[in-house]
Amino acid sequence: MKQIKFLTLLILAVFISSCEDDFLSPELVSAENGDTYYANDAEIETAVVNIYDGVQGVNQLELTSSGLNYGVQNEYYLTEMRSDNTRTKSSEGEAAQFENYTLESTNGIVLNYYRSYYNIIFRANTVLENLDAATDSGKVKFEAEAKFLRAYAYFNLVRLFGDVPLVDKLINPADTETSFTRVATSTIYELIVADLQTAASGLTDGSKDRASKSAAQTLLAKVYLTLGNYGDAKTLLESVMSSGFTLQDNFVDLFYTERNSEIIFAIGYEASDVYNSQNFSAEWLNAVGRTSGVNYVTDDAVAALDAMGGNRAMYSYRIDPAQVTQHQVVKYLPNGDEDLGIPVTSGDPTSAGNDWIVLRYADVLLMYVEAVMAGADATLDASAIEAFQKVRDRAGLTDTVTSITKQELLDERRVELAFENHRLFDLIRFGVAQEVLSAFSSANGYSFSATDLLLPIPQSEIGLSNGVLTQNPGY
Amino acid sequence: MIKIKNNIKQLKSQVIMASLLVMAVVMTSCDFEFDLPEEGSIADLTPPTASFESKVSPENNLKINFTNLSGSSTDYVWEFGDGNSSTDKEPSHTYDAIGTYTVMLTATDKIGASSSVTGEVIVEEKQVIKPEILEAGFEDNTLPDGTGDGRDSWRNDFGGVIQITSSPVNGGTQAAKFPSAGDRVGHQEVLATPDTDYILTYYYTMKTSGTGNLTVRVLGGSISDLDEADGATLASHVGTNQDSSSTYVKVEIPFNTGSNSVVGILITNEGVESRVDDMEITIK
Repeated sequence: MKQIKFLTLLILAVFISSCEDDFLSPELVSAENGDTYYANDAEIETAVVNIYDGVQGVNQLELTSSGLNYGVQNEYYLTEMRSDNTRTKSSEGEAAQFENYTLESTNGIVLNYYRSYYNIIFRANTVLENLDAATDSGKVKFEAEAKFLRAYAYFNLVRLFGDVPLVDKLINPADTETSFTRVATSTIYELIVADLQTAASGLTDGSKDRASKSAAQTLLAKVYLTLGNYGDAKTLLESVMSSGFTLQDNFVDLFYTERNSEIIFAIGYEASDVYNSQNFSAEWLNAVGRTSGVNYVTDDAVAALDAMGGNRAMYSYRIDPAQVTQHQVVKYLPNGDEDLGIPVTSGDPTSAGNDWIVLRYADVLLMYVEAVMAGADATLDASAIEAFQKVRDRAGLTDTVTSITKQELLDERRVELAFENHRLFDLIRFGVAQEVLSAFSSANGYSFSATDLLLPIPQSEIGLSNGVLTQNPGY
Repeated sequence: MIKIKNNIKQLKSQVIMASLLVMAVVMTSCDFEFDLPEEGSIADLTPPTASFESKVSPENNLKINFTNLSGSSTDYVWEFGDGNSSTDKEPSHTYDAIGTYTVMLTATDKIGASSSVTGEVIVEEKQVIKPEILEAGFEDNTLPDGTGDGRDSWRNDFGGVIQITSSPVNGGTQAAKFPSAGDRVGHQEVLATPDTDYILTYYYTMKTSGTGNLTVRVLGGSISDLDEADGATLASHVGTNQDSSSTYVKVEIPFNTGSNSVVGILITNEGVESRVDDMEITIK
């Protein structure tokens, strides 16, 4: 009997002493985990690279499981194909909803972009919340890069969707209020401007496929132009214009020489690399990718390039060799074009290595003209004309420019930056999107209305939000 | 045995009768009525919500482009507040006069539910630029930064640079001089507002000997070659007054800018030494 009492006490003692915290939540020792991983600069830098990886997206022809993010690789659907520049080849499926202006809130391409860009923001926030372990110099650089990429992602989201949820920290799945409450664009822009100011002051130049001071300044200038703050945009662009960037002598070289003197910021890809190649180059060809051909050039864009493009026209579009009534984009060919002297850059076109150019110097020069024009109908300013003339001279259009109208600037941007995902944003920023796209739409039998300037909030996000997330008008 | 047979017959006829009755009931019940059932139906949870925005057209200050932001609706009636209306989904409307108009949009769905919203549209006077001609009196140091030789703004690729004369002049101490050879050209572009009436005013004088002219053209937009000047001319004046070589004659050229936001002033001469002074563009 005594023994039983003793035993009971012993067992009780064992149980009581085992009730320490780490018994219930033991440290993970068999694998790395997010709570303990970010312990030094090298480890935090892997998180920074991970943000770029999010923008890069996955090659849909190499990695086919569902739920993967395609990042910037699908951006042309949401931008060029909603402008008067491009369309699908055969007007089929959900891809054709973009050109027809008949987007449904269930469109999977829109959903993938939305999730991709919030995932980029999540990756950036991960870096920003794990800066404590970094060295002082590392901290400045990592914070600047993460904020540059977060601002880049928000700038695209806010221009495409309007009011969007503002997530500026790591949140858990239960925080549905942050995930699904749409915040006014003006508040989103406050975050974008603050992030880019931090980025510009924390970065230096030198890198082209990672963030740099000039990249942050250029992007911030574009944000300012969008907000109508022309004075600050002009100052930033002047700084970039004295940072050593130059136009390539030959227009075609700028697309086929990686990290050339004209590139300010590009998303890098590697040919024949399962994890770092891209498939958009293949999708733009005739039935080489998973589509039968998308981002095909409209007759409207062909006419504009022929009339105003100078020697850029032949390096911007070509007749589809397999279907001579159709026109393809030439700027990112993976498998070259012998007639145009463009080399094969990817042995397997479905695993292409062409970098995606986000910011380049010609864009800076034309933005400078826009900043000087400051919303007026025209400018006679000598420095604006000099910048404009540089872009035209390179295109072989060497007539002396003596004045620039707003329409001439918009046209120049169209033919210089065609198929680089600028056109839709340019039309909106210049305040002419409704008129231009209405006319384009009725000429082609599409159904544009002004509410099509914003994309639908993806229906599955609205479903997950339990009615908190609201839809844009017209959807 | 017979009784049983009779009973069976009787049963058979009863069955037939019953079948007929059932059939009749089934057949008459085929008169379906399409009334919506009261019980189990739910209210319209998404009635129309009317909403719109308006924006002035970049081309015409009287033209307003409307953006329809209505939800759950299919048919629209716009009343523009000036007596006009439209049933387009997304109309543009050009008003006759400036003013404030109350626009009403009624959005309706196919079960007749509707929603209305009103909004004010302000149609404003066009902002008209007064074109500024640089070195309009051909005087030294009159550029905005206080420099200039009186003709810097008039240099171009179309001909030699104009000369400067100090006598005779119309105003100030200098005027432009075009020698009789006719190989000097003055050209300058200025910013203006499209679709606006302006008047270009200037003074000229010509020598009394020889025959020729002093021509001033107002050009729409830029030209890259003198051959393009005729095609681009909005208005012009060919001066041939040789009454006095020292008395300036005033010229007024009215013009409309059309679609141009930039206009050029082109001065050329032929045969006779000519002088030009004090150019100005005013809003008509």
